[in-house]
Order: sequence, then structure tokens, then C-alpha cells
Amino acid sequence: MNVSLNWLKTYIDFDFTPEELANRLTMLGIEVESIKQLGAGLEGVVVGKIVSVTPHPNADKLILCQVDIGDEKRLQIVCGAPNVYQGMFAPVATIGTELSTGIKIKRAKLRGEESHGMLCSEKELAISDEASGLMELPSNLSVGMPLTEALGLNDVILELEITPNRSDCLSMLGVAREIRAETGNTIRYPEVTPIESETDIREVTSVTIEDPNLCPRYAARVIQGVQVAESPSWVKQRLESVGVAAINNIVDITNLVLMEYGQPLHAFDYHKLCENRIVVRHAKENETIITLDEVERKLKPYMLVIADAEKPVALAGVMGGYDSEITETTKDVLLESANFQPASIRSTSKKLALHTDASYRFERGADPESVIAALDRASQLIVEIAGGTICKGVVDVYPGRKEPLKIRLRKDRVNFVLGTSIEVEEIEQTLSRLGFGIEPNQTERDNFEVIVPSFRLDITREIDLIEEIARVHGYDNIPITLPKGDIPIPPPDKNEEVRRRIRNFLLGSGMMEAVNYSFTNPNSFEKIRLNDDHPLREATQLQNPLSPDMSILRTTLIPSLLENAQHNHNHQINNIALFEMSSVFINGEEPGRVAGILAGEIGGGVYGNPYRHPDFFDMKGIVEGMLDVCGIYQYEFKHTEDSTYHPGRNAEVVFGETRIGIMGEVHPVVLENYELPFKAYLFEFDLEKITDASDFSKCFEPIPIYPSIQRDLAIVVDQALKSDMPIDIINDTGGEWVESIRLFDVYEGNQVPDGKKSLAYTITYHSATETLTDKAVNDLHDKIVQRLNTELGAELRM
Amino acid sequence: MKAELEAIQTEVLEQLKQIASSDELETLRITYFGRNGKLTDVMKGMGSLSKEERPIVGKFANDVRATLTEAFEKTKTALESQQQEQQLKDEAIDITLPGRKPAYGKAHPVIQTLERIETIFTRMGFQTVTGPEVETEHYNFDALNTPIDHPARDLHDTFYLTDGQLLRTHTSPVQIRAMESQKPPLRIIVPGKAYRVDYDVSHTPMFHQVEGLLVDKHVTFSELKGVLVSFARQMFGDQTQMRFRPHFFPFTEPSAEADISCTVCQGKGCRSCGHTGWIEILGAGAVDPEVFKAVNYDPEKITGFAFGMGVERIANLQFRIPDIRTFYENDLRFLQQF
Repeated sequence: MNVSLNWLKTYIDFDFTPEELANRLTMLGIEVESIKQLGAGLEGVVVGKIVSVTPHPNADKLILCQVDIGDEKRLQIVCGAPNVYQGMFAPVATIGTELSTGIKIKRAKLRGEESHGMLCSEKELAISDEASGLMELPSNLSVGMPLTEALGLNDVILELEITPNRSDCLSMLGVAREIRAETGNTIRYPEVTPIESETDIREVTSVTIEDPNLCPRYAARVIQGVQVAESPSWVKQRLESVGVAAINNIVDITNLVLMEYGQPLHAFDYHKLCENRIVVRHAKENETIITLDEVERKLKPYMLVIADAEKPVALAGVMGGYDSEITETTKDVLLESANFQPASIRSTSKKLALHTDASYRFERGADPESVIAALDRASQLIVEIAGGTICKGVVDVYPGRKEPLKIRLRKDRVNFVLGTSIEVEEIEQTLSRLGFGIEPNQTERDNFEVIVPSFRLDITREIDLIEEIARVHGYDNIPITLPKGDIPIPPPDKNEEVRRRIRNFLLGSGMMEAVNYSFTNPNSFEKIRLNDDHPLREATQLQNPLSPDMSILRTTLIPSLLENAQHNHNHQINNIALFEMSSVFINGEEPGRVAGILAGEIGGGVYGNPYRHPDFFDMKGIVEGMLDVCGIYQYEFKHTEDSTYHPGRNAEVVFGETRIGIMGEVHPVVLENYELPFKAYLFEFDLEKITDASDFSKCFEPIPIYPSIQRDLAIVVDQALKSDMPIDIINDTGGEWVESIRLFDVYEGNQVPDGKKSLAYTITYHSATETLTDKAVNDLHDKIVQRLNTELGAELRM
Repeated sequence: MKAELEAIQTEVLEQLKQIASSDELETLRITYFGRNGKLTDVMKGMGSLSKEERPIVGKFANDVRATLTEAFEKTKTALESQQQEQQLKDEAIDITLPGRKPAYGKAHPVIQTLERIETIFTRMGFQTVTGPEVETEHYNFDALNTPIDHPARDLHDTFYLTDGQLLRTHTSPVQIRAMESQKPPLRIIVPGKAYRVDYDVSHTPMFHQVEGLLVDKHVTFSELKGVLVSFARQMFGDQTQMRFRPHFFPFTEPSAEADISCTVCQGKGCRSCGHTGWIEILGAGAVDPEVFKAVNYDPEKITGFAFGMGVERIANLQFRIPDIRTFYENDLRFLQQF
């Protein structure tokens, strides 16, 4: 909301600079978003009268003007505007002026003629976009007057952000009350003494409220014989200063009073109301209304309308009807001042996407007790400005009248909650300046009964009063202390530990951490080749997605990482190593996932550390390391069926009976779907299952005291033989003596027959109880070779 | 003969000074010590000496031999170390060639910031708890004193799911869940994702928040200030000033917004802070009695405070990314920078 300081000062005195006031309001909870000095950049611009106009001797399009700027000063100014004439009043930017458009006025010579200033258009003064000629000023202004004064621009506008609870501040008087709380100065309310005619209003109209829940109060006055015209300049200036467009005197007055009191008003053309009466009722099925913005609106029965005897003439509290609006021919006016239920206004305004100054206030809650004051104020202004007479009396239907709310307030509670030592006197002063009534408790001096003023709809409880005291006391004046209570002992969190270890490991292994949106495109399932009946396709849908490609919640992290790879590849970044850790959304649950991608190039890409393409075993190593840091050792890589992956190059990782994750080379069709020209490797693991499998218990194992002996073993086996089968036999044969087996070479080609491959292992033999002799190791080694030969057909490679 | 030996000693010592290589040294050794060497020849003449002279000359000859042998050794050692020096010089490498940097990844900048925030509160005794991102109207709004027709709901543009649930618009519902499952005292923070229908240079539809809650028998607003000032000084530097402004949140009363002195101009006023010297970083307040009622705590016996902050916003005070949507593009050129 915009507040004009000039306007505000008509209600309350204060001698703060605009910046001080802004700061004080902000610290009271009325945040000032901007301070705008009207007429900024107009210092040095004055009202001038063009006393003579002569052609420029050296230029056809230029004119020499002699301009009177008061104090008997005459300036020669060269001007090229087409609308200049002798006797014209126009703004003159004098030498030294710096306009907000950036123009600096200097003494100049134009085609040989001196020019001592500039006659300005509205555009040059940044007042409007009008640039076709000089700005013409009214000839009743005094010559030499500063233009800001002449135009009422010597004002400062504060833009306020009013929080939803403070509807009472959506008016000049509301803001004045806040200043009263700060300063203690008194408020000058407008003097309202409407002079009424002989005609009794009861003879000319009536009001019926059909649903008192939605309309607690409806009051009306009738003003007869008005002259609809343009508003006087003071009214227009007031409205324009706070950003409200002037329309005609009647409508402008309702808006002026709205800004003043925060009470929305509406003026009907009395004669356009069928039977000249008002019915506040629900809309009927299929009823429509053309609102003031000339849009036809379909109404729903839950919407409240203001109707005449037969049809809706306004959307209650939101916008008036086009057919009953005030026009130049309006003679008699029915003026509405009412109060509506916030939720009802809110749903109507939301449903119709129609947000007005009126609906904004009603949906936050207006003061039912200001209805009559605002109505009388506006009626009086109408008579003063537009003429006419006010019918005797007010129609005031007030089914929702409520007793003022009383709240018990305890001084000790104030200080208990705030951690302060605020005294009784300060509490009393604060509350009374804010407009609260106080009934002291006779027996307990520290406790009060507080009477809440009708405009403070947000105050219903003791804690609300405590906030009032706190904000006027100043949050900055509340001490800064540290909590004194016990620190609770948190339970151990294994899940968190697993996540931390995995994240650290993946970062340490060269993968960058990605964070993606939880929404994805339903076509991503197609792109990663999920079968039509794949359970991951059962994704939760958004009712109101930002766009179709963000319309479902992720059930897997894989598409996001592939998109990240695609994005980077499209920007010529090909060393792709990314991981993400996040929840996914499956069947109403939010299981945790960790997923990673390797694609394009790995390595430093420098001399001595060239780029190379990652392969399955780079990814497998990462997976193995990740499980290792979680204390998971007993697991298996098994071939699996998953259409996202290369059918021969994928593995599920199984712990006991549970699949804890999957990894592998991305299927070429999936690569194509993401426009990746190189192989990519993915993994995705279930974090809860990793947590279940993880084991952080560690126990010391003695460092071997007896030396170990190493033997290399190279065997030629069938090409299809899995490399872990010999390992099982070696372990089985060697028993405790086999400390470790390392596969250090796999070879196919020359010297190895077709269909065969060579596997080379280093076996470390060791005993915990004795020093092994060469002979003992050789015997065992020979036994191993024999078993490999008989069971796997392995030939020793020499 | 003695004179001869003296001459040889002088001669050899003189010549050793000229030696530049081990080959020359060997030649010199042979010249004097070889089978037909000059010293050997002289020694051969010992037999012709008188009985009296022999031991005297003999001793002298041995001294000369010892002196020379030692001189030879010294020269040899010197030559060897010279040679090694030379060899090492020849082995010099171009140290400007690139190092083999082990691959290392970097945490996402938003998560880095989140972790810093979490660490600070953990040190102050806050326990990290988490909760679901798909929420019900009850936990996201109603239990937080934000009924359906409350204008405060306009502040949250909510993503609804087709099943009537919603994506939480803040991490505050976890407050309720925590209070439902635990008894006071509670001292928790809730890091996590939240969602609002918003997409422009300063808003992403998914963002991160850290919510905090402290509930006990007697928790005051002044303690809220204490915890948050302590946080701000740890997060933004110990010179950081903090101010609290009254504000409105449905689930706290009294409510506040907290500003820190601008991290760019240190409070003097600049473009980053809109020339106010202050930058808003979080919302906070004393837990509203209605919230306590929703979880069956007695608001007369239990008080508390809550706060919530946007992680992207705090991250961007440091990073100054003009369009925060960049956070979620996962462009490696971007991620590498942090």
C-alpha cells in the first residue's frame, strides 16, 4: 500500500524525516519497501510565462522566447516546440538544473542565439511520456513558483508491505495509529457532520440481508441531485499520489474515503436499481453479472452478490456492476458501506481471479464499526464537491453486531514469554496508544482486562497482546540471552551416518554432487526404456505442475542424471562424473536413493594423465568402494534383466537375499534418447537397504607376525569362465593359509588358443601360527593347480 | 733417495690438483703406483741402501705413500661427488609440466551451505530430524494455524498432487511431527527440500530450508534472539549485526523477521541491500499457542521458538549468482566453482 506523507500529516503530527519514519514503521512491523520522493529531479524547474515569441534569425524550426520567471527576471530561451505561443505558461528548467532524465541545463548558444534554460515537455520532466510539445500549465499559477509546488509534487510516498494480519493498517488512519503508538501524538479524525434533507431514506430505499453470516452489516445512504464531474485537483492529487486513478467526483470520493478509513464503499446510480432497493443474497444458479471492468462473469451460488429487486448489481465486496455504475447522467446516488465475511470474499475473488482494493481489505477483515463513519464522511464530501442533498437517516442493517472482546493480560506472562522486565506503566501506555481499552484489576495490580478495539481483528488472545507490547517496546530492546534448558540427547542415526560416508566417498572418488528437481517428465520412463508395466512408472502426479515436463514426482534418479549428462555434453563438457543423493516418491513412501553416472572421459586430460573412456569396472570399483565404507563386504554382483542397461553389462548387487542396488553400462538406445555419443555407466542404490546391510562395528585383528609367501598363478581356461570361479577353488583348497588372491591379468590373444583366456592371480599364503616353509606352500600350491585342472579344465600357463 | 721421494710427493700432489676425471686419476695412479710406476721404481732401490739408512728412508717412504694414497682417495671422492652432482643436474625435469591431480568431486553449493548451517546448530545442541516432502493439508497448514481461508495461504503457492496431498511449502510440518512423537525438551533443526509454484531468477519451484525448533518449560523470545545472533556470527562473521523486525507468521506469535548487516557493505548501504544496510535472512518467532494445542502441549506450561531460513538465499549472499535456477542445471562448469 502507498502512503502519502502530506496526506498522513493531515491526521497526525510527526517530525521524522521520511527515512526515520520508514525505519520506525519497519521496526513496528510495517515494512517500508520503498521511499519515493515525488518530483525528484524537478528542483530548479519553475513556472514560466512566455511573454514574447520571435522567429530565430538563423533557423526555421527554432523560436526565440522571452520567458518571465518572476522577480522581474526575463530569460531568452531557444525553443523548438510546435505548441509554443505568446502568453503560454510552461515549466522552465533553469541553468544548473539536473533533470531525472539525465539532462543537465547549461547556458548554450543555439545557431548563434543565447539560450538561458529549457522550456520542457512532460517527457523531459519524467512526468509522462507526452513529448509532442511543451507541457502547458494553468495560467492561474504564479510565475516563478517551483513546479513541484505547482503540481503538488512536494510529497514523499512510502510503499508499505502490510502483513495479512494487519488489515487495520490498510488506510491512512491505520498508519496514523501506528505513529501514535510510536509518538503518543493525538490523531485528528475528519470532522463528520452530514447535513441531511427532509426526505427520509426509509421512503426511498430498503436493504435486506439474506445471509447474515456472509454480510454482518450493510449500511446505505442516498444523496439526491448530485452533479457528476471531474474531481477537484486536491482530490485527484491525493488519489494519484497513492496510485489510484481518478474517474469522477463520486467514485473518487469513495476511493478517497477507502484510503482514509480502510472501509470500501460503493456508489450505485440510484435509478438503475430495480425498485431502488438492495438485497444482499447468494447468486442464483447460472446468474451472470457484467462487472465494472466490462467483463461478464458467471456466478456460483456460494458467491455473495448485492442485488436489486431482480438482478445482481455488484459482486459483494469485490467489484460493482457495470449497469449500475455512476455516469455523467447520474443524479441520485445510493452509497453502500458494508462489512462482509473474509472467507467468502476471498473465495469469490480467487475463483474469478478478480482482486480489487475492496476485496483485498475485506478478505483480510474490515472493521464493522467504521462502516457508518466512512459512509457519513463520503456523503458529506459528495455534497461538498458534487452538490446534492443527503436523505435523512441511514439504513443500517447490522445482524452481526458483536460485543467488544475482553482479554485478560498478565504482566508476568508478558515478561515470561519475552524474557524482559517491562513495567505496568509501559504496558498501559502502549495499549492505550494502540487504541485498546484497559480495565485495571482492583485486586491484582499486575493484571488487566484489555478491551480490543473493533479494528483489531487480529487480536484475540493474550499472546497477541504480548506481541503488541513487544513490537512497540522494540524487538531490539529485548535482551539477547542463550537458552538455559537441558540439551536433549539425540538417538543414534545410522541412516545419516551411511549417507555421510557414501557422500564423502563419492566426492573423494571424483564425482561431483548434483541436485535435481524432484519433478520430472512422464516421457522419461520411455527414454530409459522401462516396460509399460514397470512399477517405477507408477509416479505421483502434480495437479498444478509448472509445465508438462515437471508434472510427476521422480521414482528414480536415473533420468535426472542422464539429463545432466546431456546438458553438459551439449555444452561441450564431456568429463561427466556426477552423483545425486535424494528421496524418490514411490507408493506414498519416500525412500532414499544414491545414484551416479560416469560418461565421456575420465582422467585429467593432461600430459602424463590423459583422458580415457570409463568402463564397467571403473563404475564397479566405485560401487565396491561405496559399499566398503559402509562396512558391507558380503555381497554379490549378479547379471540381471533391466532394459535401461546393456543386457550383457549390468549387475544387481545382492546382499543376502536383498537387491540393494543396480549398476551397469547404459543401453545404446537410452544413450541415443539422451543424445549421448559415448558410453555411460550408471548406478542406483537404495539407501535404506544399504543402511540395513551396513555394519560399522570394527574389531582389531592382529598384524601378522609370521612372514607371508607369494606365488603367482597363470592359468588358461575357457573364455566364458567367470574370473571368480578359480578364486572359490583356491580359497576352498587353501583354507586359512590363503590370505588374499589378487587377479592381476586377464589375457586373450597370441599364445592363448582360440576360445580360451589366461587368468593370472597372485596368491598370498600366510599362517597365523607358524612360519610357512617353501615346501609346505609348494605342496599346497600344487594341490590348487590340480584341482583347478580337474574341476575347471585349467591348464597352467608357462 | 729421500730427496727423490720428496720430489715425487710434491710432484704428485701438484698433479692431483689438475685432475679432472677418474680416468686421469687412474693414469696418474699407474704412473706412480703401477708395477713400473715412479714410486714403485724408487722403492725398488731400497735394497741398495745401508742398514742404518734403510729403516729411516723406509719409514719416510711409507709416510709418502700414505700421504699420497690419502690424497688420491680424497681426489677420488671429490671427483665422484662432482660426477653425481653432474648426473643429478642432467636429470633435471620440467617442473611446469602438469601434476597428476587425483580426481575429487565437490559438494553441491546449496548442500555445502546447508551443511554449514547444520553444523552450527548441531554445535548448539540441535538435533537434525527430517520428514516427508509429500504432506497433508493438516501438517503443512492446519496444524500450523493456517486454516484454508487464511490469507496467509496466499503467501505459499502450493503444488497439489492429484490424490489431494501436497508438496510441503516449508519444512515446518516436521515441527508438528516432531512434537507429536517426542516430549519436551526439544531442540531440533529440520533441513530439507520444500516446494512452491514459482519460477524466476530468484525463485526455483524446489528449494531448501532449514527449520529450527526449541521447546521447553520456559523458553523466551530473548533466547530466540540469542540463538540466532550466535548463528549469524558463526555463519557470516563475528562482526555481523542482527536486527529483528516484527512480522507475521500464522504459527508463531510474536513473530519476527531477522536481518543481518549487509555482507557486501557491512551495513553502510549499497545496491545489494537496497541501500538499507540490512539483508533479510530468516523468519522466526515464539511458537503460537494454537500450534501447541494442535500437538496436545499445554501452552501455559510449555513455551518455545521456531525459525526457518531459505538455504539458496543464504548461499547466494556468498555466491551472488544472478539467476538462482543455475543451481539446479548441474552444469559441471558451475559445480566446479564451489
